Amino acid sequence: MKTLLGGNDAFFQGALRAGANYFAGYPISPTTEILTLAAERAEEQQDFHFLQAEDEIAAAIAVVSASLAGAKAFTATSGPGFSLMQEAISWGYRVEAPTVFFESQRVGPSTGAPTFPAQEDILQAMHGAHGTYYPLAFYPNSPAECYTLAVTAFNAAEEAMQPVIFLCDGYVSHLYEPVDLEALEIPPAVPRSRPPLGTGKRHFTGIAADEEGIPRTGNPQVQEAWVRKVKKRNEEVAKRYPLYEYKERDSDTLLISYGSTSRVVAPLQERFSHFRPIRIFPVLKEELRKACEGYEHIVVLEANDGQYAMLVEHAIGREVEKIPLLGGKISLSRIKEPLKEVLGVELEDVL
Amino acid sequence: MYYKDLIKMQRYPHSWCPGCGIGSVLKNTAKVLAGMNLDHTNTIAVSGIGCSGRMAGYLNMDAVHSLHGRALTSAEAIKTVRPQHNVVVLSGDGDLFSIGGNHFLHTARRDPDITVVCNNNEIYGLTAGQYSPTTPKGTYTTTSPKGCKYEPIDIHGILRTMPRYFYARSTVWHVLHMQKCIQEAIQWKGFAFVDVVSDCIEINGRHIGYKKASEMFAMYKEKYKIVRDVEVLGPHDLGVVKKE
Ligand SMILES: Cc1ncc(C[n+]2csc(CCOP(=O)(O)OP(=O)(O)O)c2C)c(N)n1
Ligand code: SF4
Ligand SMILES: [Mg+2]
Repeated sequence: MKTLLGGNDAFFQGALRAGANYFAGYPISPTTEILTLAAERAEEQQDFHFLQAEDEIAAAIAVVSASLAGAKAFTATSGPGFSLMQEAISWGYRVEAPTVFFESQRVGPSTGAPTFPAQEDILQAMHGAHGTYYPLAFYPNSPAECYTLAVTAFNAAEEAMQPVIFLCDGYVSHLYEPVDLEALEIPPAVPRSRPPLGTGKRHFTGIAADEEGIPRTGNPQVQEAWVRKVKKRNEEVAKRYPLYEYKERDSDTLLISYGSTSRVVAPLQERFSHFRPIRIFPVLKEELRKACEGYEHIVVLEANDGQYAMLVEHAIGREVEKIPLLGGKISLSRIKEPLKEVLGVELEDVL
Repeated sequence: MYYKDLIKMQRYPHSWCPGCGIGSVLKNTAKVLAGMNLDHTNTIAVSGIGCSGRMAGYLNMDAVHSLHGRALTSAEAIKTVRPQHNVVVLSGDGDLFSIGGNHFLHTARRDPDITVVCNNNEIYGLTAGQYSPTTPKGTYTTTSPKGCKYEPIDIHGILRTMPRYFYARSTVWHVLHMQKCIQEAIQWKGFAFVDVVSDCIEINGRHIGYKKASEMFAMYKEKYKIVRDVEVLGPHDLGVVKKE
């Protein structure tokens, strides 16, 4: 049966489907609905835990700590809160804590335009925190995908033993569509594997330590071995999720967009080929290289000034054309001018 | 159970300076845990960052060395997920009251059933001697070369504004008293705070007129007095104040 479901709502339902049982967060647009849903859930269900923390620093620390304690833990925020969470995310990488950070983007920097969507935190999701680590991030473009990808995100976090960033934006968060949850194909939830806190004599520390948790700061080999280990695991897990959408048309132009932008430019996909990355990190290098082959024009449309475009250029080794949609209005009318400039075509002719 | 069974002896020699009060806090915490039959099967240790923040990692149980200032938040989340376990936080004054000050306020307000043992050496030891929120006014530190300009924070006073509280103060010289305070704190249902006045001989003591740790211990003996059955502790009173 179809029900009307918003992106935030769908993500939350997906998290439950994945077995999530601990949420800590702090109110912020456009994710506050998730905080509210988690609070309600905790009232109904004794084994679901909720904390409205005093700030996002506390929320992120609580999420990583709850994961060590054995929970499937997650939070939801947007750019400003995500910035406050970065130190804990870095800690989460070091103590290998499977966790999911939902980040729905809005216009920044700073408070920006809080109720308007953006895609300006792509690079923050990649390396917003300090130190060497290997990000995993997914980005849906519909409520249905918010649901299925939530399960994927929790599974990937568990398999890679690391924080996973679930990217979203204000449009997708608040986009309501009829969804038949029963009809969706959902991967089975991967259970927690590491024994919870209180069952051993381990030491979970952010310090460069050996596998016993004994600090070895004077020994670069120990840290290097750890980096190699987590890098390998991250690559292996990423390989299981080569998620993207590629629509080939008889055209010399390939458009690349993701999240809400890919929904807005959907009418252009009849005329031009289109590539939509769903796994944002690690960058889909091979897949992009293959998809980009043979096109005269490669155009990245995104609600930021070329953050993903830069990564595409790096992956395929050539320059791409960029159409940035800034200020919080992601619409076809705004593509009209740049489309003429970049491809020499009138929007009306391709619709 | 012998208290040494609760300490990761394989990690010795430890990283603290000779004469540092942290050893006394760790040892006496371990003694209390051993006396109460608390070990890795029923207890989890949590620390923040600092010389004091290294304590949890020396206890022979699952230990979480969280981030600077975040030990209380970490401990509260762990207690939520593992409610049957005792959760004990061991950390320093800079960690708990400065960078962690907001968490201190809110964790105390939410009143989770955790125990906090603060090694209060009135200085940032690990980062080599800057003033902390508990540094007494007028004290020389590397960031207050002419004496600290500010009054120290009143933790006892802050906790006493809560409808329910447990605050104990002891020193590293009054070890039996410290043990009693820690034991009572663990037994307390709710947020229990043990403030242990302690020395950082290397980075603080030597610069304010003490040649050896024993001289600081003698000062604690002289200056601090144990009081019983009081509602409020004076600045140099040692004891427990609590309200159900
Ligand atoms: C975010 C962050 N800021 C600063 C530091 C550096 N730092 C480490 S310990 C410390 C002070 C610790 O003071 P306290 O808690 O009193 O511990 P002590 O060393 O005195 O036992 C600071 C500032 C850090 N580790 N992390
Ligand atoms: S620097 Fe001070 S607090 Fe740190 S170990 Fe040495 S004496 Fe102890
Ligand atoms: Mg200190």
